[in-house]
Amino acid sequence: MNGTLAAARRLLGFWPAVTAGMLIVTAALLLLPVFNIVGLSFSGGETAASVLDNYRKFFSEPYYYRTLINSFIVSISATVLALLVGVPAAYFVSRFQIWMRNLIRAAVVLIFVSPPFIGSYSWIILLGRNGIVTTTLAEWGIPLPSIYGAQGIIFVFTLHYFPFVFLLVSSGLKSIDQSIEDAARNLGSSELATFKNVIAPLLAPSISTAALLVFIACFTDLGTPIILGERFRVLPVLIYGEFVNDFGGRPVLASTLSVLLLVITTSALLLQRWYASRNAYGTAAVRPLTLQEQPLGKRLLAALFVYVLVGMALLPLANIVVSSFLKANGPVLLAEFTLDNYRRILGTIGRPLWNTIFFTTTATLLCAVFGTMIGYVIVRRPGRVSSFLDTIIMFSFAVPGIVLGVGLVVTYHHPPFSMTGTALILILAYFIRRLPFSVRSSVGMLQQLSRDTEEASVNLGAGPALTFVKITVPLLSVAILSGVLLTWSNTIRELSATLILQSGRTVTISIEIFNEVVNGNFGVASALGTVLILLTFLPLSVLFTAMGKREDALV
Amino acid sequence: MTTAVSIDSITKRFDGTTAVDDVTIDIARGEFFTLLGSSGCGKTTLLRIIAGFLRQTSGTIRFADKPIDDVPAHRRNTGMVFQNYAIFPHLSVFDNIAYGLRARRCAKAEVEARVGQMLELIQLAALRHRRPRELSGGQQQRVVLARAMVIQPDVLLMDEPLSNLDTAMRVHLRAEIRALQRQVGITTIYVTHDQEEALLMSDRVAVMSHGRVEQIATPLEIYNAPRTRFVAGFVGECNMLPGKVAEVLDGTATVALGDGGRLAVDGLAGVAPGEARTVAFRPQDAELLPAPDDTTQGLHGRLVDIQFLGGTVRFVVDIGAGAIVHVAAQRRTGAAIPVLGGRYRLDVPAHAVRLFEPTAA
Repeated sequence: MNGTLAAARRLLGFWPAVTAGMLIVTAALLLLPVFNIVGLSFSGGETAASVLDNYRKFFSEPYYYRTLINSFIVSISATVLALLVGVPAAYFVSRFQIWMRNLIRAAVVLIFVSPPFIGSYSWIILLGRNGIVTTTLAEWGIPLPSIYGAQGIIFVFTLHYFPFVFLLVSSGLKSIDQSIEDAARNLGSSELATFKNVIAPLLAPSISTAALLVFIACFTDLGTPIILGERFRVLPVLIYGEFVNDFGGRPVLASTLSVLLLVITTSALLLQRWYASRNAYGTAAVRPLTLQEQPLGKRLLAALFVYVLVGMALLPLANIVVSSFLKANGPVLLAEFTLDNYRRILGTIGRPLWNTIFFTTTATLLCAVFGTMIGYVIVRRPGRVSSFLDTIIMFSFAVPGIVLGVGLVVTYHHPPFSMTGTALILILAYFIRRLPFSVRSSVGMLQQLSRDTEEASVNLGAGPALTFVKITVPLLSVAILSGVLLTWSNTIRELSATLILQSGRTVTISIEIFNEVVNGNFGVASALGTVLILLTFLPLSVLFTAMGKREDALV
Repeated sequence: MTTAVSIDSITKRFDGTTAVDDVTIDIARGEFFTLLGSSGCGKTTLLRIIAGFLRQTSGTIRFADKPIDDVPAHRRNTGMVFQNYAIFPHLSVFDNIAYGLRARRCAKAEVEARVGQMLELIQLAALRHRRPRELSGGQQQRVVLARAMVIQPDVLLMDEPLSNLDTAMRVHLRAEIRALQRQVGITTIYVTHDQEEALLMSDRVAVMSHGRVEQIATPLEIYNAPRTRFVAGFVGECNMLPGKVAEVLDGTATVALGDGGRLAVDGLAGVAPGEARTVAFRPQDAELLPAPDDTTQGLHGRLVDIQFLGGTVRFVVDIGAGAIVHVAAQRRTGAAIPVLGGRYRLDVPAHAVRLFEPTAA
């Protein structure tokens, strides 16, 4: 009798209640939408002969399956290229005495957080049919390869996503002890052989994580292929097209395509985790790899490589800011200074700016609160339920924005919810997409914190809830704050889920830019883009200057 | 003697391994009780079960005869001092000590008075507004001690509180903790792997090994009369030699050990000639004497090493058949120095020798 009472009290405690709440929230916002699109994809519509109808249709018509092949072509190419430029760049900046190393690192961060679709249309301004560079070079008789289609997408993806590789490999290099390299050299291994046989294998987990992130980012990116793809269509573009066609009806085909996309991203995630777990050495550097003395020629070559790479990746951003001050005639920019573009957005930017800031801030705060609690449950209350929660959070990494968008519409479009187009659905979408960020940052910090401090508080008579508020949260405050700033920077530029879920009332700056680009108003798009870049970069400059964080906090 | 804490047949299993194995201990009010053992012996697990951070697989814990098994950790009214202090880094010294009182919703004036009193007791009144990072390790340890004592817990639990301090501070603080504990008269359970700490501070000690209690006794008894082979080896140094009972006469046995050596053992019951036993005696109980001509009596050996340690000298004697005996002697200036390689007789008083069951291996 007493025993059952006590058992009941244990079940109804603070943390069990929190855990149950988190499970319900993540189930409602992630599992149920995914479950629904899977269900819809097998439903086959009214004339269905078989549950596999939709998939048969996809794999029998080139119009459909070609997009899957295209997605693989651009994603794999971009991943390989990003590794080929990112790994050496990170190695050179970490190991060689290259001039302006801190500036390079800051530039990589800037590239990393900038919205990818801004880069794409910026490249059109530069290298498009009427692009500044294209026309200038054409006058000299030098033809340039086209920026449109597969090659353009691969080019933009590579330049935009190589920072994943750069940042992860840089932090991976920091966990290798100098003595390991010294030992290899001492045993007679040359510099190149040392890198190939000793350093690179130790970097395998970092490199494979980076490859996964680049691959998933490329595979699920919607903005860039819409802007640059023209007739070259990838899977996310097809999903978006089918979704827009079906709107109001049942997005059966869009769901089918979403499931395919999800299967691929999830497989990639599982493959990488399997690979990384087999190749993890768990090294911790007492004395991290130091800078190497290099002959001037080598230094110059390495520096040149890094400067050209970073310079090219920065070019579209600089171009946005510059062209926002240029007179525009549709997609053609004239070399004439003006504030016209800003004057034109002044009247219309109010609502999207407010929406963007309001949605992002609310979602970020939700992430901070729920993410910290989930992190606590995962680290401090291990068990089957908490590892299930951990798995859900990991899985949400693999759910692309566009898939989540379709799933949320399928689940909450109809009464009694009728939530499509509301601010709430966008906030919830942002929240669930970025939740892993804050979970991970508090998990990382909690694992380093001894649980003694919290137990001391409980021991002194503070219950679990009071202990969490009075002890755990203050101890985690730095991690929570940096999680907040990162989430904010990452959420504010969200495009793919927003495209699916927004309505006129809930338009954000990303959507406005996208619309202006699609309509060819490049001047206005640049002004809006400059505003968005500022909004993205502002919290990060706080993070890196005031909080003294290092750039690898980003990945 | 009233029982403050009663640990009744506590067992704790973690999937497959048994961390605490059927432990029963009664601790009296005001007693300083120590759980002594090497890491992994279950002493900390037992302490955490008492604090309520772990739940036992079976058995019952009672505070003053009231079962507390279903009382959550924050309502148990135990004060715990952690190995790495677990000081709240974001709170001042005062707020750290006041934490438990505030969690109990004490009135502001009472908090002020009781914390003030504690600060006087630990002599840190001047530092009440300091942040923990401005304090030395020893000061931090005193703050968490005050923090645990100010709530007037039913029992004070200390988990290796001194192991993170340097030797000088450790020696200083263990005296201070003992003095404070006597002054306040608080029941204390102290966990340590340091036998010196355990012997010096405790009213009683429980020596633990592999989750089991090997012996519960006063420090003197633990040292002088170890009940098991493990206790003899763990607390203080001990020569452990394989031997065989040769004869038993009026409660005095003679055991054969080494190559033809013999030792008399006092006060025994229940051994019969022919049984194998482990012979144990402390190095300082043995004496190195010149070998007589007749070597058929007593224990003899060849001196193979002399280790000079300043105040004491250790002699290493090979008694044959692979057995080595250590002898510790106080060094007096001018005393004759034994010759390395020479043969000597070992004199061990019969009451200083103990016999244990031989190890299974």
